[in-house]
Amino acid sequence: MEPLTWTGQFGTFLNPIMLAAVVVFFAAAILNFVIGFAGIRAGGYEVNDEGTMVMNRTPSDYLLMAMQFAVLVFLACCVGFIIGGIVLPEMAQKGILGAVGQRLLPVWIALIVTFALSITFKARLGLYGKLFNSSIGMVGFGLVMFWVYAALFSAWVAPFDALDQISSLRNDIPGTPTPEGEAYSHYLFGGDRLGRDVFSRVILGSTFVLQIAPLATVFAFMVGITLGLPAGYFGGRLDTILTFVANLVLAFPVILLFYLLVTPEIVAAGLPQYMSMVLFLFPIIFLVTLFNSRFHTQPKRRNLLVGLTVLIGGLLYLSLISDRGTVIDVLGWSRLPESWPDRISLGLFSIPLPQSLDLFDIGGNILIVFVSVVFVNSPTVFRIVRGITLDIKTRDYVAAAQTRGEGPWYIMLWEILPNARGPLIVDFCLRIGYTTILLGTLGFFGLGLSPESPDWGSTINEGRSLLTVYPHPALPPALALMSLVLGLNLLADGLREESLKD
Amino acid sequence: MKDFANVQAEKGLTTHPVAEMYAREHKEGKLDRREFLVRTTALGVSAAAAYSLIGATPAAAQERAVPAEGGTLRIQTRVYAGKDPRVYDWSELGNLSRGIVEYLVEYNRDGSFSGVLLESWEANEDATQYTLRLRPGVTWNNGDAFTAEDVAANFVGWCDSTVEGNSMAARMGALVDPDTGQAREGGIEVVDDLTVRINFPSPEIALIPGMADYPSAVQHRDHIGEDPLEHGIGTGAYMLESIEVGISAVLVRNPDHTYWRDAYLDRIEFVDVGEDPANWFASAEADEVDMTYQTTGDFIDLFDGLGWERSEVTTAATYVLRMNQNNAPYDDVRVRQAVNLAVDPAVLLELGYSGLGTEAENHHVCPIHPEYAELPPLTFDPEAALALLQEAGAADHVFEITSLDDGFERDTADALGAMLRDAGFNVERVIIPGATYWNDWTSYPFSGTTWNHRELGVQILNLAYRSGVAWNEAAYSNPDFDALLDEASGIQDADARREIMAQIEQIMQDDAVINQPYWRSLFRHHKAGILNAEMHPKFEINVHYLGYAA
Amino acid sequence: MGAFILRRTGVMILTALCLTFVVFFLTNLFPNLEKLAKTQGNARMSDAEVVSWLDRNGYGGPMILRYGEWLGVVPGWTREDPQTGEITGRCIDFGMDPADAPRFCGLLQGDLGYSTVSNDEVAHIIGGRLVLTGILMFWAFAIMVPAALLVGVLAGMREGSRLDRSLSTFSIASTATPEYVSGVVFIVLLASSTAGVSSTLSEWGWLGPDGWLGDRNTLFLGSARSAMDGGITFWNFTLPVVTIALYGMGYIARMTRASMAEVMTSQYIRTARLKGVSFRNIVLKHALRNALIAPFTVIMLQFPWLLTGVVIVETLFSYNGFGWTLVQAASNNDIELLLACSIVAVLVVLVTQLISDIGYVLLNPRIRIS
Repeated sequence: MEPLTWTGQFGTFLNPIMLAAVVVFFAAAILNFVIGFAGIRAGGYEVNDEGTMVMNRTPSDYLLMAMQFAVLVFLACCVGFIIGGIVLPEMAQKGILGAVGQRLLPVWIALIVTFALSITFKARLGLYGKLFNSSIGMVGFGLVMFWVYAALFSAWVAPFDALDQISSLRNDIPGTPTPEGEAYSHYLFGGDRLGRDVFSRVILGSTFVLQIAPLATVFAFMVGITLGLPAGYFGGRLDTILTFVANLVLAFPVILLFYLLVTPEIVAAGLPQYMSMVLFLFPIIFLVTLFNSRFHTQPKRRNLLVGLTVLIGGLLYLSLISDRGTVIDVLGWSRLPESWPDRISLGLFSIPLPQSLDLFDIGGNILIVFVSVVFVNSPTVFRIVRGITLDIKTRDYVAAAQTRGEGPWYIMLWEILPNARGPLIVDFCLRIGYTTILLGTLGFFGLGLSPESPDWGSTINEGRSLLTVYPHPALPPALALMSLVLGLNLLADGLREESLKD
Repeated sequence: MKDFANVQAEKGLTTHPVAEMYAREHKEGKLDRREFLVRTTALGVSAAAAYSLIGATPAAAQERAVPAEGGTLRIQTRVYAGKDPRVYDWSELGNLSRGIVEYLVEYNRDGSFSGVLLESWEANEDATQYTLRLRPGVTWNNGDAFTAEDVAANFVGWCDSTVEGNSMAARMGALVDPDTGQAREGGIEVVDDLTVRINFPSPEIALIPGMADYPSAVQHRDHIGEDPLEHGIGTGAYMLESIEVGISAVLVRNPDHTYWRDAYLDRIEFVDVGEDPANWFASAEADEVDMTYQTTGDFIDLFDGLGWERSEVTTAATYVLRMNQNNAPYDDVRVRQAVNLAVDPAVLLELGYSGLGTEAENHHVCPIHPEYAELPPLTFDPEAALALLQEAGAADHVFEITSLDDGFERDTADALGAMLRDAGFNVERVIIPGATYWNDWTSYPFSGTTWNHRELGVQILNLAYRSGVAWNEAAYSNPDFDALLDEASGIQDADARREIMAQIEQIMQDDAVINQPYWRSLFRHHKAGILNAEMHPKFEINVHYLGYAA
Repeated sequence: MGAFILRRTGVMILTALCLTFVVFFLTNLFPNLEKLAKTQGNARMSDAEVVSWLDRNGYGGPMILRYGEWLGVVPGWTREDPQTGEITGRCIDFGMDPADAPRFCGLLQGDLGYSTVSNDEVAHIIGGRLVLTGILMFWAFAIMVPAALLVGVLAGMREGSRLDRSLSTFSIASTATPEYVSGVVFIVLLASSTAGVSSTLSEWGWLGPDGWLGDRNTLFLGSARSAMDGGITFWNFTLPVVTIALYGMGYIARMTRASMAEVMTSQYIRTARLKGVSFRNIVLKHALRNALIAPFTVIMLQFPWLLTGVVIVETLFSYNGFGWTLVQAASNNDIELLLACSIVAVLVVLVTQLISDIGYVLLNPRIRIS
């Protein structure tokens, strides 16, 4: 079989159109720039004496219209390729773009449904709904949701497993057909240096990024909020100490910190696990305080909620921090040594609980990477929360709550925090993007997740060595990472714009 | 300049009964030329004389081209901090210091040995006594004459096993007294100014190869245990102009020293651009280097594409994937056998090393070793492998395969993981950066190790598979194997040794001590017009030979 | 102001002490010392040899005392070899008579220690590397700051205009492209002899032996090594500089834009417009100065932030500066070199914070330090 072309059958007539659109766009842009120097600017509306409005059109306006039109044509062609991929029966007719479009069908459907529903009901959806008033916000949201859905449906989208190898397809170019009897007829984005499907790895890699980055950011926010609120609210010595510690962590160059924390030696010494013991405690503390401060007047409800939090949270906590055969290990009774000196020598953190309580072991480097990322992000969140708290605590409604006799934690969690949500949500989006970049940086220095994992950072790092000859294994994850971070930044920008309009 | 090999031939230092026996074997077709050369030259017969024994003319490679005087050469290589040569752990260290401190003998590309600071050497019939004759007229660059005292002092230093990391002690074998950890009484004998005699309590056939290895640089008698890059005293033609570890080092011709033979280049720059072959290639594209230390994998074609000359050498260098038997379930021989059954070495060679080598047979004795015995071919049967694994009760075991983080090591281990997965094993991969990998290299449960080329099969087996030795990474312990190895290590006659080697190889295979997919061919690239820069089986670069074509 | 600087300096010293102790603690955990012993002794040493090596080289004592030695408040260790009677010690240099050696030799005495990997004085190494990184940073800033300010001011002067939207999107895209992505893309496009533009240029004869662009294989060089010996050229230094500058640029541009947009809506600008001052004059004479206060603090704070970028770029382009040294020191557990690197890094962070605070006060007449 022949390798696929990029654009397939539709390419024969869509390619020239696309090319024309690109040429028109750039020609118009350059011309516009040139005539801008000549003093011709876009016209505007003018109100005539008799009260009618007249639109003044200058050459610049026509050029801008041409540019808009070119962009629309270009996008229409892209949609055409996707539709072609879905409609046309033969692989050779679909082309690579069409075939990719077809694989991504669940993602398209989900995106269309999401946008249709959101735009229909946007009036009732608060800040989220307002997002659909801003085009930048919508583009950002679209990009982010594209990857979210790609990760969700990765099992259907990716034709191969991340580790499937077809040794004859090492470093082969995009669109190479696979041998008979394989799960899918082509390697759409080619093969990497071990004969694995680049397209599948990029799609499956999104699941790693989209699990770890948001989750780590959530944890960082829990830590930052739990410490930042009291620091800002109470001030005094507590504030001084916490701020000093936060600045201490921030003064570390991130890369040095990672080199100190994520090396196998430090892992062997168990340091990341001790850190995880401390850091993972914060979500539980946060939730317990949250419920307790709200419902301490209704003991029954309070007890139920706090009890549930402690039980479920505690179980997850123990499962998270313990790992078989490392310094923190939830030992089964049966694995506990007979004699007491031996038991003590096993260390403080060998917790004798039934083995079944250790629900899962987090494999590879994930725990370490996770903890380090949380650790690096928390102080910044702390500083933001502290700053906002300092600002908000002077407001009237806080004073009102104080005179009502509410406890300090109630005021912090139920008065100040909800009013700080705007900037926090914006920072949350930006921070996920930053965390994604950070994970990639770790991968770049070979400190990342499990080595074979398809996460984007590690894949870029792997592809880097043969980049000049075989760019195709490294470019897709690089572009994927870029588009996700770009989406998150645009989303944050849209949210900021819309929340400022409040 | 007179070729020193010819000098030896003229002096008629060729008679050795065993060498003549080898010559007969060669003529009868029992020995190929390479094996013949390794064995006879190891006994002290010069390469030229050895060739004359079998009525052949020395191969072209043996007669080095004579470059023009002068010039600067830039070599891409790692630059490590200098230290006591005895504890050298990288060939690159030897390549840099070789311009200053030289060696007694050297190992040639064609598998023969020739003298450098030794003019000749002889072994007695049972290989318990070696007579080393020094090259006359060699001086140190501080003006002292090079004498037997220097050689004896170096031997004493090499035998000092109390120095941490002194790998020469292992190469000296029975010359080290196990009680004191020092050289044996009467083991090193200074006969006259230019003759040293080494007496072993038992037959020893690996002395000469041991003296040709990079940690055996010969130091001045007053500077044993010191760093030659710091004191700068040696017999070589060059001196260190500057060194910045991890970045570069520069050797320049020593103007105050009369070197005992010719050297050509005026200046050699060692350029370190890190561990990543991509950076090597980038600096070649940017015209920052003239030759590479080594070229690997996909980069071989890339360097070809730059129009550089490729040089290749077939070696017994290899990649060994071994299970450490101190870790369950690898103490169960069935588990190890299952792994070997599930792996097709041809696939690992193709995916891991781009097919640039030959398949190996899981016993770490290479067809180019003189004592290699051919065994029936290995079987590849994934279904039987899984059945065997289930029988051993280890079907749920997760095979955690550890490897270095880049290059062919990683690719091969990845390919091994994939093959095991295909056979239905549970596999997880662990990758550790180069800087830290070697901390625990002997104790990972299942990991890969690169082994350099060794001249004799018994050398490597003694180093890596004898019970309890330091580099026994498989934690293999088998008294029968040790006994056979003892026996083989004392036999000079290759055929007699081969019979025992056949048993040893069989034991290695039956016990599934290692999974060894391939023997590596090694490559190096250099710009056209650079002479004597060919790849060496042990990565050696002798700066004295390098130069530009006239 | 004086008291403010004094207090800040005090906090700085305390921070530096805490940080170096953390680094010291982490690098002196036993697994790390074991790594050190093996890289220094022999990669394949046994456990017993490791312990004896550590003991012989002064790593045997309690960690807190050794930290004191490094600081220079505890006398350096000395050790007499039981067999030869030779005395070695922290403060005894090679070939020095033990009697002449000073008792203390640490940071306070101006001794940064000895780099185990490089076999050289730390002070000697760090100096040259900092200069190299300084040059790189200088060029990166020389490109990044003017470009970012220009983009920011242009975007912010007419908020919501088409120009603003395209420039803002460009800034966002540049902050979304980390160095390891842009560097990789640049190398493929511009510095590869087989892919990208270089092969085309070679075919046209613009590159190569007779090419008017120069006798090279590639348009730009993918390795900045030749720039280290002072031979900085447009072709070997552009890619690393642009790679660093691009990622930092977007952030400064966005800050400038926000600040500019805020100034443009302020009362006095509106007054000026109503008075009929031309738009050009408003931007250049009235808005610009006030709009640049906020970006100034951001630019100063970019220094530490760019450090990660420097590390990536120096690794990617084989440029042996400070970032590269930091990676080498960290991956080889070169304790004293790493400590020196952290001191430098911490100083950069804290000093730039201080400058940014002081500058903010000086530039902004509305703020007074209490």
